[in-house]
Amino acid sequence: MIEITTPEVSWIAILPELVLALGAVGVLLVEVQWKPATRVLGAISAITLVIAIFFTFLQWAQAGDALEVGGLDELVAFSGMIVMDGFAVFGRFVLLVMAGLGLLAGWRLVERLNRRGAEAIALVLLATTGFSIMVASNNLVMMFLGLEIGSISLYILAGLTEEKTKADEAAMKYFLLGSFASAIFIYGVALLYAGTGQLEILAIRQFFTEFIVTRPAVILIGLALIIVGLGFKVSAAPFHSWAPDVYQGAPSGVVGYMAAMAKIAGFLAMARILLTAVPQLDDSWLPVIAGISALSMLVGSTIALVQSDVRRLLAYSGVAHAGFILTGIVGGATTGMLFYVTVYAIQLIGAFAVVAVVSGPSSSGSSIDEYRGLARRSPALGAAFAVLLLGMAGLPLTSGFVAKFGVFSEAWANGYGWLVIVALLASVISFAFYLRVIVAMYMDETEEEGIVVSLAARWVLTIAVAGTVLAGILPAPLIDLAADAFSL
Amino acid sequence: MIVAAGWYMALAAALFLIGALGLLLRRNALVMFMCIELMLNAVNLTLVSAGRALNDLNGQVAVFFVLVVAAAEVVVGLAIIVAVFRRRATASVDELSELRG
Repeated sequence: MIEITTPEVSWIAILPELVLALGAVGVLLVEVQWKPATRVLGAISAITLVIAIFFTFLQWAQAGDALEVGGLDELVAFSGMIVMDGFAVFGRFVLLVMAGLGLLAGWRLVERLNRRGAEAIALVLLATTGFSIMVASNNLVMMFLGLEIGSISLYILAGLTEEKTKADEAAMKYFLLGSFASAIFIYGVALLYAGTGQLEILAIRQFFTEFIVTRPAVILIGLALIIVGLGFKVSAAPFHSWAPDVYQGAPSGVVGYMAAMAKIAGFLAMARILLTAVPQLDDSWLPVIAGISALSMLVGSTIALVQSDVRRLLAYSGVAHAGFILTGIVGGATTGMLFYVTVYAIQLIGAFAVVAVVSGPSSSGSSIDEYRGLARRSPALGAAFAVLLLGMAGLPLTSGFVAKFGVFSEAWANGYGWLVIVALLASVISFAFYLRVIVAMYMDETEEEGIVVSLAARWVLTIAVAGTVLAGILPAPLIDLAADAFSL
Repeated sequence: MIVAAGWYMALAAALFLIGALGLLLRRNALVMFMCIELMLNAVNLTLVSAGRALNDLNGQVAVFFVLVVAAAEVVVGLAIIVAVFRRRATASVDELSELRG
């Protein structure tokens, strides 16, 4: 008789993703079977997210224990597919929290979608699953799968409205350019594989410490394509052309979530590949990343100056932020980058929650005229938006300032003084367009009546504003957490 | 006749370039979508020939995953293109220009 030994599976490494996927399926099945009130589906998704977040705490504890006894191998699970280091767990935790905030911010859209609301909830959970796998993957093909699970869900979310709006155009543009970026990314992976014979990130690092590559052309082209592919996903210039159109056209209830998720996962994946897999090649990629970073900051902040639509303005400011975050990767450490990505994601979701309240959750486009006199129509909403915008601009005592200071000082220490000077210049320019919106909200008169802010939106805005201010005044706990979350 | 793996990779690179250029130059959404599929197939050819040359199974296995992803993209992509076509009776991306600023 043949004995089959079942391999030991370290389930805890993917428990958050398992819970999320089950939750997504559960939401769809419950909807089909019982057609419950939307509130019930919301409760299911909330429970799912809470359980998944609970498991990230368990993972964090286990990753810390393994580090203490030096058992780094224990952190790699599923034959090297998944890695459970602090970096992955931190990224997952942030993604899960943003998913919760994103669902709250888009709740009015879910309610309006009526029976199709379940699809929106399930897609949010599935996108979170994908991006969460992406930040935790140790294998480039696994990373690609996570990227695609997340991205394909976002393509659908971008077109999911109950009204006939311009969302279909946004979905189409997002789909075509997003798939293009994915194809470029996976071709880069294939070339890296052809050059090194490895798909695992840790094995690739091993390869470069053991061998000196005499003809690195294929490897470098592969790496360049990976950078381009991920650059598209995080909307860094010159690969940002899709972002303004998609942010403007997609239903405002989900834009913040979409943008935040793609950026968090994209930057974390980029940092993992560049800093963990190929740190030996940094002579080649550091100048490229620094160039993309400088270009993004300048292009983003100057084009944002002339935007008349708040969403396009936020999209171009996102391009500038992509540049700022990339200075963190140029700095060679992940602490500042993790902090920046976290606080920026909160600000982004909060800002688009305001857009969703002002322009309606399924609208396309929100001209700056809609914001004139907003502070008089709803003082709390205006104040919240002002705080979030100032946080994005990086005013001292907001999280944006601490975040910028962190990444800039890392880049400075790594010998990229010119990049920091460009970044400071771009930060100054960016104040101009954020202030333009704030001035429109506070200085202009309006005849329009007050705005009713839904309970869900109030929660999101409270959390986002509190996070922005708290992380600005007391950043130490979050910075310590990010510093512990280094990649294997 | 034995063809060295390098030639397959060169063919794949050519296919990938054709796909990328097609995506950038053509204006019909369906044709652009086909170009993406062409790019993904170039990736598959690269993975298979690299796997064969390195005598390593990982490359061959990775192809299955890329195929599945390509299939999933077809499902969503065609649905989006059909939705746009129903509303506007055109699949040309040039006429999709309501979003601008």
